[in-house]
Amino acid sequence: MKPTSLRSHEIPFALGAPSLIWQVLFLYLPMLLIVCTSVLSFSAAGKIEGFTLEKIFAFFTPTYLEVISSSLLLGLSNALLCLGIAYPLAYFMASCGKRCKNFLLFLLIIPFWTNFLLHVYAWFFVLEKEGFLNHLLQTLGILSTPIPFMNTLFATMIMMVYYYLPFMVLPIYSSLEKFDARLVEASLDLGATRAQTFRRIVFPLSMPGVRAGFFLVYIPSFGEFAIPELMGGDKQVFVGSDILGDDTGSLGAAFAVVACSILLLSCFAIHLGLHKVTHALQKS
Amino acid sequence: MQEIELKNIKKSLTEGTILSGISLQIPAGKFFALLGPSGCGKTTLLRLIAGLESVDEGTILLGGRDITNLPIHRRPINIVFQNYALFPHLNVFDNVAYSLKIKKIPKEIIEQKVIKILESFGLENHIYKPTTRLSGGQQQRVALARAIVNEPAVLLLDEPLAALDFTLRERMLIELIELQDTLKTTFIYVTHDQFEALTVADQMAIMNHQGHIEQIGTPKEIYEFPASSFVAKFVGSTNTLQGTLQKTSPDPQILVPDLGAFSLFIPEYKEWMQEGADILISIRPEKMFISKQELPNFSNRVKASVEAIVYHGRSTQYNVVLHNKLKLQVFEQNEEHFTQEDIDYDNEVFIHWQKESAVILER
Repeated sequence: MKPTSLRSHEIPFALGAPSLIWQVLFLYLPMLLIVCTSVLSFSAAGKIEGFTLEKIFAFFTPTYLEVISSSLLLGLSNALLCLGIAYPLAYFMASCGKRCKNFLLFLLIIPFWTNFLLHVYAWFFVLEKEGFLNHLLQTLGILSTPIPFMNTLFATMIMMVYYYLPFMVLPIYSSLEKFDARLVEASLDLGATRAQTFRRIVFPLSMPGVRAGFFLVYIPSFGEFAIPELMGGDKQVFVGSDILGDDTGSLGAAFAVVACSILLLSCFAIHLGLHKVTHALQKS
Repeated sequence: MQEIELKNIKKSLTEGTILSGISLQIPAGKFFALLGPSGCGKTTLLRLIAGLESVDEGTILLGGRDITNLPIHRRPINIVFQNYALFPHLNVFDNVAYSLKIKKIPKEIIEQKVIKILESFGLENHIYKPTTRLSGGQQQRVALARAIVNEPAVLLLDEPLAALDFTLRERMLIELIELQDTLKTTFIYVTHDQFEALTVADQMAIMNHQGHIEQIGTPKEIYEFPASSFVAKFVGSTNTLQGTLQKTSPDPQILVPDLGAFSLFIPEYKEWMQEGADILISIRPEKMFISKQELPNFSNRVKASVEAIVYHGRSTQYNVVLHNKLKLQVFEQNEEHFTQEDIDYDNEVFIHWQKESAVILER
């Protein structure tokens, strides 16, 4: 019948159209513009003079490559730290009762209600020289003189993990929550220990959530500039702040293209890596 | 092939006490069915044997060895789950090979064993398919293959055919019987379906709503000689008459109020069979005969009127009502064309039965 076919094909498309237009106008077109800007040369008056790869190659110098690799490292370590903390938490959340589940989800979402800068200032009070952490450590007798935590990589990492953790917990939780507990029973029944069951059944089946969470954390942390700037001071330069620091615009575009390409390649590598890890776990 | 012995098993779950002291002996190498209504605790009992739950009290012996506190993964007992619980990220081969891989058996032997068992289940064309692409019956076979590939001492089946359609279920029942026959593994089959239990079992136990075992025996014993009115009503359909026992006359009789006396056959007297005791007789619908005329050679007959006639093909079911409003069911085999005298709605008929066909039960 006609009405059914209308429903199944045309309405979903119509519903998706606004977001599609939005994406094309404000995501794909600007990206295309950035790519164009990075490979075109301009006259002093701002006129296009021709095609050039000079600007791109200008960034393959030790200084810039170091910036990019430290950004990769920042993203990777943040994603790994978040995964390490988020997985047990998500597992616990998925295995507790319905009311407890909803309460924990609520707790996880609360930070989203507060302005980002307020989070940063709250952490200032915790980490500064006369702050809560130093005070606590001194009272406990672990420290005799306060340590300046602020403006260190440590402060940056704390804030990064704090801010990105929910993005890792939620996808892992949702994949574990759908998990059929009878599969665990079947695995135990077939002679596997709890650890073997986790490696061979639970973890591989939660992989979609792990992968989603990993990229949700890894990709934005690679380009993160606010947190390293505010918490880490100017000791360490990352990709985000470097692009922001460029005032010509044209060089910034080229750097963004270089950084993004490397990020993309690293994503493929991570994807393969996660695949390998799952397989290795299943064999062990 | 080992026997299972349960001694005074007690188990409470959050919903309340499920099992309060079950003792049961399941003979080695037999197809044993555990039949009971939904929620009677039969699945819990199975999970206790498998080790998926731990007992509150009592002992579980496997071939004489106490396995009560043996963790699940070390029990030589495997279970086929109701929804099969196949691993969705593994293909048919890897699902079946799972327990062998855990045991770190050499690859070549695993391959040999798995392929052999899949061939015997007619799955040789589906070895490397994802399990999600199989039909219900094929998934069922994979679950079975996965459970028996490791040669367990006991195989537990938890309503394994509940998700299959009727014809497939009948075929799988036969396959299960044949499988048990070749493997000689002890099978424990849990179901609420009396047809399945009667079909497969060498021995069966009937559990009631309270989680007590009412009767243990062969399907024939259970069907022909139910030990209680619960068993009589739960296994097959039956007609019951309530009355009091009269032993004084040369022939023992049951005196049913408003209907009169019917003769009984009592092969051996039990203690509760006292003069005037409240009793109940159960007569299977196929052991009653319906006719417009009074037939000779029957020890009991009663007048009735026909309420409904349901034609089943190989048999016809008559629902009749007695003058005291009691309803009875009668099955007649449709043995020959047109030999049945024409019985119609509202006809006055006679229902006959032999006294040997009635089972006498305590009320």
